[in-house]
Amino acid sequence: MYKKNNKISIESYLNLSELLKEYRGTHEENRLFALKHKALLQNPRQILLKWMEKNSFRKSKKTETQTLLQKFSTLSNFIGLFSLIFGFLAGLGLLSYSGHAPVNVIYYLLFAMVIPLFSMIVSIVSLFSSGAAFNVFSLFFPLHWIETVLNFFSFKDKIDTFNTLFSDELKKWMFMSRLQLFSLLFSIGLLFALLVIVVSKDVAFSWSTTLNVSDIDFFKLLASIGFPWGHTLPSAIPSVELIEMSHYYRLGENLNTQMIQNADKLGAWWKYLAMVTLFYAIFLRFLLWLATRYGFQKQLKKDFLELDGVEKLLREFNTPFVSTESPKEEKHLEIVKESDEQVAHAVAKVYETIIGWNFSKDEILLLNDAKGVSSSNIRTVGGNNSFSEDQKIAKEAKSEVILYVKSWEPPTMDFVDFLEELLANDNVTEIQVYPLGTVGRNYESDEREVAIWKRKIQGLKSKKVWVIDV
Amino acid sequence: MYSSQESLNNDYPKFAVVGHPNKGKSSIVSSLALDDSVQIGDTPGTTQVKRGFPLKVDGKIIYELFDTPGFQRARRVLSWLNEQEPVSADKKGDVVRAFIAVHRDDERFIDEIELLEPIMNGAGIIYVVDASKPYGSEYETEMEILRWCGQPSMAILNLIGEEDYTEQWKSALGHYFRMVRTFNPIKATFREHIELLDSMSQLKEEWTKSIKVAIKVLEDLQDQKIEQTVDSIVSNMLKTLSYVHRQKIVGESATTDEEEKSKLSYREKIIKFEKEQEKNIESIWNHRSIEKIENMLVLDNVGLFSKESASIFGLSQQQLIITGASAGAMGGLGIDLLLGGGSLFLGSLIGGAVGGVGAMIGFDNLYEVKVLGQSIGKRELSVGPMQNLNFPYILLGRSLYHASVIAKRSHAMRGDINLEQEEFLTEQIIDSEMRKTLEKVHVSLRKGEEPKEEDLKAYKKVLKESFLGLL
Repeated sequence: MYKKNNKISIESYLNLSELLKEYRGTHEENRLFALKHKALLQNPRQILLKWMEKNSFRKSKKTETQTLLQKFSTLSNFIGLFSLIFGFLAGLGLLSYSGHAPVNVIYYLLFAMVIPLFSMIVSIVSLFSSGAAFNVFSLFFPLHWIETVLNFFSFKDKIDTFNTLFSDELKKWMFMSRLQLFSLLFSIGLLFALLVIVVSKDVAFSWSTTLNVSDIDFFKLLASIGFPWGHTLPSAIPSVELIEMSHYYRLGENLNTQMIQNADKLGAWWKYLAMVTLFYAIFLRFLLWLATRYGFQKQLKKDFLELDGVEKLLREFNTPFVSTESPKEEKHLEIVKESDEQVAHAVAKVYETIIGWNFSKDEILLLNDAKGVSSSNIRTVGGNNSFSEDQKIAKEAKSEVILYVKSWEPPTMDFVDFLEELLANDNVTEIQVYPLGTVGRNYESDEREVAIWKRKIQGLKSKKVWVIDV
Repeated sequence: MYSSQESLNNDYPKFAVVGHPNKGKSSIVSSLALDDSVQIGDTPGTTQVKRGFPLKVDGKIIYELFDTPGFQRARRVLSWLNEQEPVSADKKGDVVRAFIAVHRDDERFIDEIELLEPIMNGAGIIYVVDASKPYGSEYETEMEILRWCGQPSMAILNLIGEEDYTEQWKSALGHYFRMVRTFNPIKATFREHIELLDSMSQLKEEWTKSIKVAIKVLEDLQDQKIEQTVDSIVSNMLKTLSYVHRQKIVGESATTDEEEKSKLSYREKIIKFEKEQEKNIESIWNHRSIEKIENMLVLDNVGLFSKESASIFGLSQQQLIITGASAGAMGGLGIDLLLGGGSLFLGSLIGGAVGGVGAMIGFDNLYEVKVLGQSIGKRELSVGPMQNLNFPYILLGRSLYHASVIAKRSHAMRGDINLEQEEFLTEQIIDSEMRKTLEKVHVSLRKGEEPKEEDLKAYKKVLKESFLGLL
């Protein structure tokens, strides 16, 4: 379920991604929403979060990503706890003192400073690498191997699915950020172990190396390592005397006498080791964790705006909604099927009456000549004629009548009114409606135009009227 | 809720498209309203009732067009008007109003009432005639009725057929209308659409401002549609060219059956991407009825992976070699730069030659097929990304062709589009300079890398340029 939160989080990222897969709204709805939240228009992330909040009810109750997110969070918590315990146990191991051999500070420094510094450098370098180079660097990190091992478990496919939800860049930041957190927890465990050991045991520290390093050189090295706190906390820097005292040459099974005599002083190393852990393993790692958190958040914000569907949504928020459609439903006309009913395929030579609908007398004469038709009674109707003139012509018509019409002008109700008057005349035995094309086409009519006339005449259901289609 | 009746009383320009039946009134409305849902037919009476088409911006109406039925009993209407007591010109409109009031329930005049009503409620008159057919005096009755209405008016000459009687019509219409314009709703370009609107704005001084706003809105809308179309094409190009199909396999190496199945799935996915993109573009240009017309675009019949498609939309072998050579040379140049030019730029020459030869590889060698050892006991077969040099141009050519046809298609058109009637050659619209820019992105995608942002910007710019050239 969506929680009201103005910050972009992995959860809000996944929620929006899920919602956009199921619902994106129409331009009209989205623009209306934006107009209602005009103040947020300048902040695309905030308006997207608001939009998500409004439409969260449209999302399926429990989505797979939510389950995956929970599993991912559980897994992260588990690895975090594991890192803390592992750091503590590693600390206990490093500082284990049986009373026979003192604890070699060089071992401890390796774990509390050298390895963390190396891993931080690799982290920083890998942050600025991409693709194959990043993959190579990731081999240095235990987290990579933990995840590889997890791939053998049954939920590998789910982890894969989860990975597909994020961009490579975001996954990189996510990986690096988690890596820093787990390393930080490991170091905290280590420091905790140191403190526990120091409190609960009387540990003797010494240093020993195969290399030929003098006490003074070793002091200089330790002093430079302790430079960050040397001025504020001088007691946390081992003195040359302590270094000399705890120098431990190839001792074998036994402690040297000098060391046994100064056993109480050897314990003074712990402050230095604690500061090394605190500064190098914890403080610097904490800074790197903050930096990767910032980088992750920045990438998340960027990817949030690059989610599939977000571009469309933002465009629709910012673009006026233009509509041109009619709010009124079209009333569809039922088209009568064409048939051969009442269709004549020949023109007679002579007719009792020739009537031209919307033709002038001269035009009719030219037509007669072209079609070889003649009649002693040629009349014009329609056009500028008055109704009474047309009615008179309809009443006077006799026997067989040919009615010329312009094929390109569809039959209007004005024409139908005239035709009905003609049909009402009992002296008229047959009416042949002849649709003609333009002079430019030698009066040849278009098939589609004739079809319109046929449908109209067939619709009258009269056996007296025919359409000529030649 | 908006209703047509409400809109009649509001103060924004309204235009009633009127005329004889079957003269293309609905086509003109459909074209101007960018709405292909308007029923257009060659049967008189296809439009039975008036329909308002308001241009709304964020719900506010800028202007409204009315599609109306054609005149059916014009002579009877004029006869009734003439039979009334003679009135001065300024009162003639009242006589028309009286006609509407008296005959509102008279079935004989349903069409006339439907078309006269919006006019008498303040709509400007757009009288449509078919100028491909000769003028007839019977039209004078209709024009005389419209003159009685006393509203600002203009005539549109719509050339439906092949013959041309424009001059004849112009001299007749000039007696009745202040303005006569030619407009073919089927062939009209966006510019012509805007010019017609501009003419409409001149009908009445009070309307000019609103129509100018509408013109600006429509121009912005057109720009947005172009941007969205280009974005959609770019996005599909990236998605398709970088697509990799992965499938688990049982043995150490893939069987022929497994390989064939993977190739088939890969192709199907790419075809699906193209279909989705086409649908998206059709929706951007508001061509909703297209899906109702089967096989409207012959693109369906010319398969994306067919040799026919390659010959129509792809580059010629010569162009491919040049493109391949320039792409190869880009890789070679990297070697030269690494060696600080110490290789005497041999890297570029060798790279160019390799790229050129690569381009000549047959059309069947489309994509990389690899077996990947993921983890112990689990192997995957991967198909893709697309390796064929010509394929991006085929896909691009098809996308640009489809998008340009859809963008140019008038909303008044209802028929099929035949590819054979179109002259389209990808290499004519994308010159060698443009190809260089495009190839940078194609090379990255072939390598399975993400293209650089600046390369993508340049890519989009080139596509926009090509698309605009087609409009």
